[in-house]
Amino acid sequence: MSREPVTLTIDGREITVPAGTLVIRAAERLGIEIPRFCDHPFLAPAGACRQCYVEIEGQAKLVTSCTTRVAPDMAVRTQVTSELVRRAQAANLEFLLLNHPLDCPVCDRGGECPLQDQALAFGPGESRYIEPKRTYRKPIPLSPLVNLDRERCVLCARCTRFCDEISGDRFIELYDRGAGERVSIAAGEDFRSPFSGNTIQICPVGALTATPYRFVARPFDLSSTDSTCAHCAAGCAIRVDVRRGKVVRVLARDDVEVNDAWICDKGRFAFAAPDRPERVTTPLVRARGLEPASFQEVLGEIAARCRGGRVGILVGGRLADEDAYALSKLARTVLGTNDLDHRRAFHGGRAELLAAARPMSVTYRDVEEAAAILVVGLDAEQELPILHLRIRKAARRGARVFVLHARRTRLHDLGEHLLVRPGHEAFALERIREALAAGGDGPEARIAAALAEAGERAVVLAGPRLAEHPLAADVALGLAERVGARFALCARRAGDRGALRAGVHPTLLPGGRRVTDDVERGQVEAVWGPIPAEPGRDAMGILRAAAGRELDVLYLVGVDPLRDLPDPALARRALANAGYTVIQGLELGELEPYADAFLPAAAAAERDGRVTTWEGRPRPLRAARAPLGLSRPDWEIFVGLAEALGADLGLGSLEAIRAEAEPLLAPREVPVRSSAWGAAGPPQWIEERVLFTYPLLVDEGRLLEGATELKAALEEEPFAEIHREDAEALGVADGGWVRVRTSAGDAVVRARVGETVAPGAVFVPFNQPGLPVAELLAGRFTVGVHLEPAAEPAAEEVA
Amino acid sequence: MSDGPRIITAHWGDERVIPYEGYVRVGGYEGLRRALAMSPEEVIAEVKASGLRGRGGAGFPTGVKWSFVPQDTGKPTYVVCNFDESEPGTFNNRELVEREPHQVLEGIAIAAYAIRSNLAFIYCRGEFLWPGSVLRRALEEAYEHGVLGERVLGTDHRLDVVLHRGAGAYICGEETALLSSLEGYRGQPRQRPPFPAIEGLYASPTVINNVETLCFVPHILRNGASWFTSIGTERSPGTKVFSISGKVERPGNYELPMGTPFRVLLEEHAGGVLGGRALKAWTPGGSSTPMLTAEHLDVALDFESVQQAGSMLGTGAVMVMDETDCMVEAVRRMVRFYAHESCGKCTPCREGTWWVSRVLDRIEAGYGRPEDLPLLEDLVPNLLFRGFCPLLDGAVSPVASGLRHFREEFERHIEERRCPFTGRGSATGVAEPPAPPAPQEPAPGPVPLSEVLG
Ligand SMILES: Cc1cc2nc3c(=O)[nH]c(=O)nc-3n(C[C@H](O)[C@H](O)[C@H](O)COP(=O)(O)O)c2cc1C
Ligand code: SF4
Ligand code: SF4
Ligand code: SF4
Ligand code: FES
Repeated sequence: MSREPVTLTIDGREITVPAGTLVIRAAERLGIEIPRFCDHPFLAPAGACRQCYVEIEGQAKLVTSCTTRVAPDMAVRTQVTSELVRRAQAANLEFLLLNHPLDCPVCDRGGECPLQDQALAFGPGESRYIEPKRTYRKPIPLSPLVNLDRERCVLCARCTRFCDEISGDRFIELYDRGAGERVSIAAGEDFRSPFSGNTIQICPVGALTATPYRFVARPFDLSSTDSTCAHCAAGCAIRVDVRRGKVVRVLARDDVEVNDAWICDKGRFAFAAPDRPERVTTPLVRARGLEPASFQEVLGEIAARCRGGRVGILVGGRLADEDAYALSKLARTVLGTNDLDHRRAFHGGRAELLAAARPMSVTYRDVEEAAAILVVGLDAEQELPILHLRIRKAARRGARVFVLHARRTRLHDLGEHLLVRPGHEAFALERIREALAAGGDGPEARIAAALAEAGERAVVLAGPRLAEHPLAADVALGLAERVGARFALCARRAGDRGALRAGVHPTLLPGGRRVTDDVERGQVEAVWGPIPAEPGRDAMGILRAAAGRELDVLYLVGVDPLRDLPDPALARRALANAGYTVIQGLELGELEPYADAFLPAAAAAERDGRVTTWEGRPRPLRAARAPLGLSRPDWEIFVGLAEALGADLGLGSLEAIRAEAEPLLAPREVPVRSSAWGAAGPPQWIEERVLFTYPLLVDEGRLLEGATELKAALEEEPFAEIHREDAEALGVADGGWVRVRTSAGDAVVRARVGETVAPGAVFVPFNQPGLPVAELLAGRFTVGVHLEPAAEPAAEEVA
Repeated sequence: MSDGPRIITAHWGDERVIPYEGYVRVGGYEGLRRALAMSPEEVIAEVKASGLRGRGGAGFPTGVKWSFVPQDTGKPTYVVCNFDESEPGTFNNRELVEREPHQVLEGIAIAAYAIRSNLAFIYCRGEFLWPGSVLRRALEEAYEHGVLGERVLGTDHRLDVVLHRGAGAYICGEETALLSSLEGYRGQPRQRPPFPAIEGLYASPTVINNVETLCFVPHILRNGASWFTSIGTERSPGTKVFSISGKVERPGNYELPMGTPFRVLLEEHAGGVLGGRALKAWTPGGSSTPMLTAEHLDVALDFESVQQAGSMLGTGAVMVMDETDCMVEAVRRMVRFYAHESCGKCTPCREGTWWVSRVLDRIEAGYGRPEDLPLLEDLVPNLLFRGFCPLLDGAVSPVASGLRHFREEFERHIEERRCPFTGRGSATGVAEPPAPPAPQEPAPGPVPLSEVLG
């Protein structure tokens, strides 16, 4: 579409907009709000509700401004200047209200309902309709999360268009026709889309309501705060609604640079965790048992243990950027250690270095405008749902999408999948690289050709699965560089990229400066003072050190090594053998018996700060309410611990932290090294069957506690996904039981047999109810596995 | 029966033209042969010169429509024959297909050649089980005889024709809804522009023509454009197959030159009003065209003249009502049809036709109120041209023209609280107040065929 400017007048006022702009958008730019129900700026025009009529000079009929594009010298008259338009809009409103139940007093939308607002502003006081109204059974649960009230529905088709155009999860559809037309779902189906909540938000009336919000609040007793979702590294703009100190609702905010107008159901519905009774909001210290104490006492006690002692620090994925920076500095300059890590799996390599040093190598917009996208080692829908939607948007705009992953992802309807065994991604990437020169006609050659053709409009998105191989991410990066594509190493958790950038890492300091490089370390020392020069231990190394009684203090910040890391047996030994164990977070959970001290942290909704998206874009967190009890933001705790140790980090406020961090985090050039296999040697072919695992969007993670309806809607029972060839060879039937045995343990789960996973690979989701898969792992998220058909386990065995 | 040229119904009554051989014997596929000897552009030029206008309702010049099809998009082009014929009163497509199925196939083949299309579709109304079978048989024959397939009549031109049966929705005759339906989506109209000629089926350039329109094409190719323009009127050349029904002695399809006065159709061909009664009202082009009255007996039946008289030629489906017919009941039934067939996409049509239909139910049953007529008169301009597609305008036509010409009949219903023609109504206690049928909630899932076929 050509984009040259077009000048027109609306209500006599001149405006110039790009060609192709819809009249309704052009009017918005002049501040003229044309009433609408079906129009949505992120959906294709529908022209269904007919509320947005305008008059165009020279045209006999009124037109709908949401479907009409501007033309040079067009003279538009809206309801502001045209009596005819006003009358038409009032008449249409009367039509919309004919069969409307006028439920406002009991409708969740009351007080923020476009239909109510317009009826109030423009509608006739009384309806001339005296016939009986249409009635339906209501509400109809479309899923445990979403309810449909057909009487309130104005049939604008926003919800169905969202499912068709945006998520592609076409669970709901308009059925039947005429006055009997209604939104419906196939019998026996659930609206099982991780984006279902968006339909509730864009419904212009109260026809779609959220189970957790039904009858909970009125808009006027909510206090709302604009913030960022901290459930993953997508960085979605959200609004947090609080009623009497409790978060009752989360909504998406529009942000074309990040999440358009959407969020996933986890971001929308998983907000109850900080209010659960299990939350601990006072500092605790072990005396006879764990006993409440003041921050000062507890920090003093911890300081005494740290002074002169050997400290190892493990960090989860939820720290804000400022927390991470303060911790990085605390560890190096006060605790004198490089033994800190936020990662769950090893990365290393140049790709990680680049991610630490250079933000924004790929943005959402780059993805949207790409001509070819290669997704490797990432299940975008489950791990970065909003990135997934952007990839879908790109595909609809013509991008060619390829997914190289061990398991089919929800991009399967738009993109070509190349299923490769976990650990073999690097080989497949190498084959693509070879095909750049050699050509051919296999999938690798197709990918190579598409990437090469797209050149700088190609994007390579590398995900967490590549961390299983020491060089896979670097091979992906090398391929991207060969074709001139943009490359991103996509972090999954909200705190990952910020922690990496800040140097919550055994060998990297802020900005990806290497501990072992005197020049680079010197740059940080110039700001911080002396830093230990020996590389630290990574997460598994820290656990091993603790288990071997080499650590005096094990400091766990927002992490549960029993659940989050791939070697619970080691974690148990580490916890048992550490000299002193400090837990910092929202709750203690299973760590309680091991804790010597507990420091209560504020939840994301209770504090200010920043998180960094997978792109490297900083996003603001804002406190929607005060921290519960004595809990406080992590960075304050770090500063307090430094003080207790007699040190001043010089980081007395968020502003001070940002000011100090900014120059250290400025984008840096990273020396180019060859991406030859190097010391690690070429990857090994894995001959045996392997089990691999990663968390699905909705699982038993701590931050999802309390999100009952969300779990009911989206959480899956544990399963083992097995390729048909393997299943046949082993005599395992789809839906039957299979015993999964690894060197670490065994479990019996239901088999899902199909072609959705690479032959030789078995997928078991990471953290599902009743199956702590971590217990099957031995230090990595892939592990050799033995499978055999099993009898249905007795009830207690299945859990 | 009066003379005058019959073009596309010339062989009606002769069953021998139904099979391929018989059709060829009377000159069939000669037009296609001629077309194939010309360039596609020459074919379009010939059809343009003939002035042929679409018979599906809108009267758009056929050759012009074909010439819009771009040839440089890199996409395929398609021809779609609209055989969804569902407008109340319209039944000529059906007879054209049943009596000479190869004629329309020949038209399709020529259209496809003209726009360089290798794939054409026939969208056949769901209820047309028998005509659909006739077409299927004819298609088989056409393939057998090399009229369709890899080498059309031995040339390099390739053409496949797919017969698609609809599922019984009037709206699927509207060209964009038809395309949605053909693609497997809900039969609801789509935004225009882009027009189908630019982005139609599967977002590719597509020509959609009515069966009757396509039937003329072989004859134009065979006899030349100037022959065609010598028939009918200057701006509406050729003949038209008028479907006349209702209160006439001899209902049926009559092919007459465009511009033939209605009086000639009614009196000379259809044998006059049934039982010699007086004419009260008639639709010139199906129930969606405003009704005319006995005052309009001499209106010439062509696009321009009917429009001048305040209506539209539409599909040329004339429904005749006589002095014993209740106009409230007539209007009520027509509106009910549109309320039932509204696709539901847009508010004024979905809700407005429902509302008007309910009000008319009440008036006819003797429960009308004096304020109902001003209400209806106010609704008309708020519905007309306000829908997403012209179905809504068709629904408004009978109301608007009914009130314009026969307001006093509506008034009498209200004053007498009964229907003056049947005597039934609240006043006589015979009629119950109409209970609006609440939309039923059928169990989602496939509907058994027995239910569809009734
Ligand atoms: C509600 C509605 C129903 C229609 N139904 C039919 C139909 O059944 N058959 C038909 O040929 N055209 C029908 N049309 C007209 C088509 O949209 C289209 O104009 C026509 O098929 C074009 O063919 P023509 O140019 O040969 O007339 C309908 C239009 C509307 C608005
Ligand atoms: S449920 Fe809401 S969004 Fe969906 S069609 Fe009805 S009014 Fe529109
Ligand atoms: S995609 Fe990620 S950031 Fe966005 S709402 Fe979902 S969990 Fe939150
Ligand atoms: S006018 Fe009627 S048939 Fe046409 S789109 Fe609207 S609802 Fe559907
Ligand atoms: S907003 Fe334009 S038709 Fe609905």
